[in-house]
Amino acid sequence: MNHRLISGFASVAIGAASALAGDVRLSGAGATFPAPLYTRWVSEYEKGHPSVQIDYRSIGSGGGVKAIADKTVAFGATDAPLTEKEIAAMGGTDSVVQFPAALGAVVPAYNLPGVDKPLQFTGAVLVDIYLGRISTWDDAQLQKLNPDVKLPKTPITPVFRTDGSGTTHVFTSYLGTQSAEFKGEVGVGKQVKWPLGQGGKGNEGVAAVIQQTAGAIGYIEHNYAIANKIAFGAVQNKAGKFVLATPESVSAAGDTSSAELKGNVLRADVWNAPGDGAYPISAFTYIVLYKQLENIKTPADASALLGYQRWTLGPGQKFAAEMHYAPLSEKVQAAALAALNSVTHQGKAIPAQP
Amino acid sequence: MTPSSVATPPAPEANASGWSRESGQAPPESSAGATLRRAKLGDALLGWACRLSAALIALMLISLIVVLVHSAWPAIRQFGPGFLVSSEWRANEIERPVRDAAGKLILRDGETVMETLPPAFGALPVIWGTAVSSAIALLIAVPISLSAAIFLVRVAPKLKIAGAASFLIEFLAAVPSLAFGVWALFVLAPIFQTYVGPFLYRIFEPIPGLRWMFYESVTVAGRTIERPIPLTGRDLFTGSLILAIMILPIVTSVSRDVLRAVPRTQIEGTLALGATWWQSCIAMLRYGRSGLMGAIMLGLARAAGETMAVTMVIGNNNQISPSPFAPAQTMASVLANEFGEASEGLHRAALLYVALILLTMSLIFNVIARRLVIGRLASVSH
Amino acid sequence: MTGSFAEFRRRTFSSIMFGLCAGGAALIISILLLVIGYLVWIGVSSLSWEFLTAVPTGDVANPGGMRHAIDGTIILVALASLVGVPIGVLAGIYLSEYPTEYAVTGPLRFIADVLTGVPSIVVGILGYELFVVPVSRWTQSTISYSGYAGAAALAFIMIPIVARTTEEMLRLVPKNYREGSLALGATRAQTIFRVVLPGAFGGVATGIMLAMGRIAGETAPLLFTALGSRLLTHNPAEPFPSLTLQIYTYATGPYPEQKRLAWAGILVLLAMLFVVNLSIRLIAARHARTRVGA
Repeated sequence: MNHRLISGFASVAIGAASALAGDVRLSGAGATFPAPLYTRWVSEYEKGHPSVQIDYRSIGSGGGVKAIADKTVAFGATDAPLTEKEIAAMGGTDSVVQFPAALGAVVPAYNLPGVDKPLQFTGAVLVDIYLGRISTWDDAQLQKLNPDVKLPKTPITPVFRTDGSGTTHVFTSYLGTQSAEFKGEVGVGKQVKWPLGQGGKGNEGVAAVIQQTAGAIGYIEHNYAIANKIAFGAVQNKAGKFVLATPESVSAAGDTSSAELKGNVLRADVWNAPGDGAYPISAFTYIVLYKQLENIKTPADASALLGYQRWTLGPGQKFAAEMHYAPLSEKVQAAALAALNSVTHQGKAIPAQP
Repeated sequence: MTPSSVATPPAPEANASGWSRESGQAPPESSAGATLRRAKLGDALLGWACRLSAALIALMLISLIVVLVHSAWPAIRQFGPGFLVSSEWRANEIERPVRDAAGKLILRDGETVMETLPPAFGALPVIWGTAVSSAIALLIAVPISLSAAIFLVRVAPKLKIAGAASFLIEFLAAVPSLAFGVWALFVLAPIFQTYVGPFLYRIFEPIPGLRWMFYESVTVAGRTIERPIPLTGRDLFTGSLILAIMILPIVTSVSRDVLRAVPRTQIEGTLALGATWWQSCIAMLRYGRSGLMGAIMLGLARAAGETMAVTMVIGNNNQISPSPFAPAQTMASVLANEFGEASEGLHRAALLYVALILLTMSLIFNVIARRLVIGRLASVSH
Repeated sequence: MTGSFAEFRRRTFSSIMFGLCAGGAALIISILLLVIGYLVWIGVSSLSWEFLTAVPTGDVANPGGMRHAIDGTIILVALASLVGVPIGVLAGIYLSEYPTEYAVTGPLRFIADVLTGVPSIVVGILGYELFVVPVSRWTQSTISYSGYAGAAALAFIMIPIVARTTEEMLRLVPKNYREGSLALGATRAQTIFRVVLPGAFGGVATGIMLAMGRIAGETAPLLFTALGSRLLTHNPAEPFPSLTLQIYTYATGPYPEQKRLAWAGILVLLAMLFVVNLSIRLIAARHARTRVGA
């Protein structure tokens, strides 16, 4: 539903833009996962910059990459960083800028009436649940992780996304780090073949199945679980600590990768990140630009685009936690800004926004 | 709505329109040449407008086939007819270590050798889901529909309730599938989850031969685990049941029309020979059997192509499980679930390939149905 | 002795089967009454004035109404009818009134019949490939889901239905009406528009109304064409809301208040269909009166 919601907002933006001729209008498209945050950013930014209209359409990461490659948008947004093939299609590393805009987390959400304390999971247990090896909640492995909880005998119904999504990509990537068997048999991707369980379309479809089925467990976005008050558990991180997803724990996961973030095409996989406080099923979500902004017509448009993106990496970050995403840590912000500042408009320096 | 319910004079001669090319010409005495020319122009314009509109209908079918074949072509070229019998539906690449025949990892220069499995698409799970759910739906719906049709033709007219009953059944044929879907999701599925599923489990699970109904085998990396299937109420069985409910009106109303067309003398003849009520019904069914087959085929076509209600309750898992209580997927539901976000080329082409199979299947069912019940159906099928 | 026992068995069996047949009819009626009754019952308790007049809010606890979706469905059906009705009626006229071209009309009738059986999800996918993808290519825009694409998909469903019912209804107009009109010097076009079509008006209108009712309840053809929207928009060039899409979204989502709206939406949809069926009866009745009067 998110993308419908966003496209709805976007059409308002279009209407407003056509009413104010002469103003700068920029369009972006891509990932649905960060769409609620981007929508918030756009509305907050437009309050301070009434001459700029930004139209973000959440059409999926794949669509966002395709749109920027086709130069039909000013910026693309994607949960999965560009592949080498995609970078090559856009003209190679020297013509692309990619930087993280924020972090999100995927949480194991469940429906267990009578259990009101967050359960604790390990990666291995989640793998076993999704491979069918743990089939009831009172399984010895689960009970051992949760000694103070009386777990029921209810059978476990694993729930997965039927549509391609960044959420599935993050979750399977994490499980892939936990089990070579999972990686070799189910694999990693936006849409995989789960060996068992129930399918739901979108976060809302998965959430609905969880809510209607006692004993169900599913993976959904952290902000979605919070907004809908769906119970979710803590996951054991690389350091052996059980961590609940919070803006802080997810930011901490991002921070561990700051050394990897160099140059103008930034990417880092932060699932299973080291560090005591890091939440293990976290991921960056990225913005993609052309380094020379050859898809942007006027210098004014270029400066507005740059101005907006700088704002999201600075003052905008505080909205991330409010929306139950996670802000970038200072080191990651610096790396992202450095990448962003390497952008020129067709070779010329971009004037600061008036 | 049947033609008979609309007020038109009873006209035995009505079935042929009354003109040929000659009679279409205006009589010579009808005023000046200009008027005549205008009249001819009007006729010509109307004629071409009609021909154009009719041509559009042909164009619609052609575009349907051409567009689907064209868009599905990458998948057709890659998978060929093997698509129909392959059960692997996986949109992601898998990178995994290569193992030798004994299952040992192959090492080269101290490193494990990796292989990459490309995405694979096979339609067998969704064909299975469609076939089984349609079959169960027919198994449930046909006996009920046929008995109701017999009742409507043989009994209801005497009780003077045929009109009301028929009206109700025809109104129900017009209820959108979404309404049935929402009902199934919020009423049927919870009832199955809480009452019917556990009840069936208690009765059938102890029977030794029926274990396959309540347990599923999950094979990962050569290891097979048997686990109980959670009874969620969103499974092949609930999907089939809602399909059965949805095809009841159409199968009933077409069967009723077929049986009504059986000559009275057929029935009276058997009764005169001393047949019981039921034996005369059998004779009637036998007389109308090809038409009844048509009604069943029409129900089958409807069930196979039904999307919304099934998508909401079938569980949406592209797997082949013998158990009716396991989640499944049909051709129509996989399209509704995956088409919107399928950005990768081959995945999208594979879905279009599925759409093409679904189209072909429903065209075949419809053609057979219409051959069997020539002419009678056009007015009642919608 | 054995003979009469066999006879007794035969009669008993027949009685049992009679009971089963009556049971079958009762079962259908009761299942369907149960479904409809439940939908109406829950729908009425969920319906509110706000549902009909308010647009969705972002707040899931207080989700507003479905005014946008009701408008959307009305506009989509109107647009589809604008295209589908003239084409369908003209095609129906062709199938019925040009019998000398039977070499063409025969196969065309068959094609129209076959088209009425195309699964609606397949129509949706055709709509996507035909109206969404190419438009997106031409205009170089990222997203081209639109009300127009949705209406086109609905028209695709509507045309064959209208064509076939129009044909059937025109065929019921007696041959001598046409002959009389032509003999009086009317042209073929005049005869069709002044005599044949008015003669079958009730039936043709019924067919059109039925087709409109059918497309108003369709969801699958709109999933990948109109896409749906949570905004009140009357511009079909944008992603467009429909009652069915909104009900589907709400019904499969996790929010209880939105589910209530879905129930109410179903009720409104059923009410629309009921109005359609009622109008059909009224048209038919009025038509019958005028015919009797004339």
